[in-house]
Amino acid sequence: MSSASRQLFIKTNFDRCTGCELCQLACSERLLGGYNPHRALLQITHTCENLYHFPTVCNQCKNAYCANVCPVKAIGRDSDTSALVVDREKCVACNLCHRYCPLHIVGVDPELKKSVKCDLCGGNPLCVAACPTGALELAWCEKPAEAGEGE
Amino acid sequence: MATSYMGKLLWVDLSAQRFRVDQTPEKLQTDFVGGKGFGAKLLYDLTRAGLDPLSPECPLMFLTGPLTATAAPSMRACVVTKSPLTGTYLDSFFGGRFGPEIKYAGYDGIIITGRAESPVYLWIHDDTVEFRSAEGIWGNNALAANDAIKNDLGEPEAMAVTIGQGGENQVRFALISCEYNRQAGRGGAGAVMGAKNLKGVAVKGTQVVNVHDLPAFKQACQQANAAIAESEVCETLTYGGTSTSIPWASLSGVLPYRNYSDQVDPKAEKLGDEAQHKHLFLGKAACFGCPIRCSQMGAVRTGKYAHLITDIVEYESAALIGSNLDIHDIRAVAHLVKLCDEYGIDSMSAGGAIGFAFEAAQKGVINAPEGIRLDFGSVEGAEYLIRSMALQEDELGRLLSQGVKRASEVLGRDTEAYAMHVKGLESPAWGPRGTPGMGLAYMTADRGGCHQRGFMIGYEVGGEEYNGQPVEAHTVVGKAEILKGEQDYLAGTDALVKCDFGAFGVSAEIYARLLTAATGRRVDAGFFSELGERIWNQTRLFNLREGFRPEDDRLPRRFVEEALPSGPHKGQRISEEDMTAMRADYYQVRGWDEQGRPTEQTLKKLGL
Repeated sequence: MSSASRQLFIKTNFDRCTGCELCQLACSERLLGGYNPHRALLQITHTCENLYHFPTVCNQCKNAYCANVCPVKAIGRDSDTSALVVDREKCVACNLCHRYCPLHIVGVDPELKKSVKCDLCGGNPLCVAACPTGALELAWCEKPAEAGEGE
Repeated sequence: MATSYMGKLLWVDLSAQRFRVDQTPEKLQTDFVGGKGFGAKLLYDLTRAGLDPLSPECPLMFLTGPLTATAAPSMRACVVTKSPLTGTYLDSFFGGRFGPEIKYAGYDGIIITGRAESPVYLWIHDDTVEFRSAEGIWGNNALAANDAIKNDLGEPEAMAVTIGQGGENQVRFALISCEYNRQAGRGGAGAVMGAKNLKGVAVKGTQVVNVHDLPAFKQACQQANAAIAESEVCETLTYGGTSTSIPWASLSGVLPYRNYSDQVDPKAEKLGDEAQHKHLFLGKAACFGCPIRCSQMGAVRTGKYAHLITDIVEYESAALIGSNLDIHDIRAVAHLVKLCDEYGIDSMSAGGAIGFAFEAAQKGVINAPEGIRLDFGSVEGAEYLIRSMALQEDELGRLLSQGVKRASEVLGRDTEAYAMHVKGLESPAWGPRGTPGMGLAYMTADRGGCHQRGFMIGYEVGGEEYNGQPVEAHTVVGKAEILKGEQDYLAGTDALVKCDFGAFGVSAEIYARLLTAATGRRVDAGFFSELGERIWNQTRLFNLREGFRPEDDRLPRRFVEEALPSGPHKGQRISEEDMTAMRADYYQVRGWDEQGRPTEQTLKKLGL
């Protein structure tokens, strides 16, 4: 690619996050059919005696270490959303993606026994819809063109 | 069949350092549903009359409900035990993030008995339970202990409950600090934990909480969230938590001032939402799964207490540590409440005890230590007493840490006239003179003086209607019937375990839809009042077995003998005759005999 491209992403606004975890409940509900925020595909860190709450979502990296290290090339880009998605048929659950993800936000689910990661819900993220404060918002960004790197 | 129950209870014996996992009994689930219901039944069955709450045998239970840990908005969990302060049944509810984690680890509840030989904390991760030494953490305050446990485990995502020095020292109104800085505050559950040599419980789980009918459940959650979004009360709580109630309560003549010598505070504004927005608030924090986010996090930025991180000074604390002590620098009040939270003592009972001590000192019954001013308005005096109670530093601190009932019994000299408690639980911050229905609520609440078992002030001065009619404040007539309805409904929904604030928006119909979709058990809106009546009678049976009698269902003497000197309810008191009349009405509408005992017929109707 030589020209700039538009890409869907979830923008996090920590100034609005209250730490309620409704986003994680919505995420785990879609992934597992039930609830457990630890197994959701986004994280919240609470610091400074609960004064600050930092939501962290998958960066859908241009230079994606998770995809780079996958020995079976199970992580690829969705053509509609540009999200990095796991092909569970290919995934061998080696968890290398988790090990080298800078955020440790991708990895093998203990029950599904496959790597799981944020796929932007196919373009309509449930976490964004569940957030009552606008701490998560859906946005498009202009990705600048790069010379000879990544994809 | 999928259900939102985990189907298991974790039983921990600290003496033997053993644990076992049992199925949640089906009958317990059917008849008592969860939370308060489980607690009411289990406490009755697991204890005998006269059991010392601070003995190893006394069970300390952390209980969830069928909607805890799901996406149903604004759900909580509770602690149930026998109160070392009142000797009654005790439940104490907490938000935050700890409750759901019990279910993620696979349990509907954790029931702890015994006493560890030396300080321990529990580390529960899924089906593994470890008894870990807390020797190095003993002596830490409640918030520091939370950090220390997670550091010790290397588990930043674990959820923990802890006690502070107050719990370690078995202060009779010590609290349990729940992830994060949420309190199971009232009645001394922290002392029960301290008596077990249990500094904390940390939990982390990987289990999924399922529901019976996911599409129906999602729809019911949407309805619940929409109802909260449309509620004006919930909107006010989002804006400023309960701080807006301070100026309102003073205008309405129900705010405690100077140990309840009056119910109007001329400087109430200094403790309210505007003052807290100006001096404290920075942003909002929410309990697990709650869109209301009533918690206003912030910091003191200037003055003597600068850079203290503080949560909102919520209504009860602002009133009982603020107006009740005639302290109006909200930064100082934030400091005093934070001290209570760190030491792990109930700021409500602490405020009551300090107010009592200030008045006793004024009247020359107790002497202030050298260099300390024990009088209304004295921040230093309040700080001194909080420390001496929590750390048991001197005789006065040790005396007051027993609560105002015991302290007045020891001191004598008519101090009972201004010891503000019901059954030993220090009075909450809603003065009842002028609202006798609220008085009746205190008289009959299962854990002693509590406003959360039936908030009659909402009807008596808050404009809420009963059966489409306004409710007259200054009368005892008809109050028992309204109160019974409130108590039953609240007890029933406390089995879910709902938050009182979410309930301002979410209706009985929606709770019924949530419960039906989550568990597969078909219930309608009337279910909760029926359930609540069973629970309420079960807790009554416990208190009767402990020897409580009609004469204990009464108000402190000040509310009875001293007419209010000013405000909208000037001249009002709740006389002995008023109490007798309301008590008789109440026993009658409850189906209890003249001694306040449920009749055979009532018990049969409720299946008890």
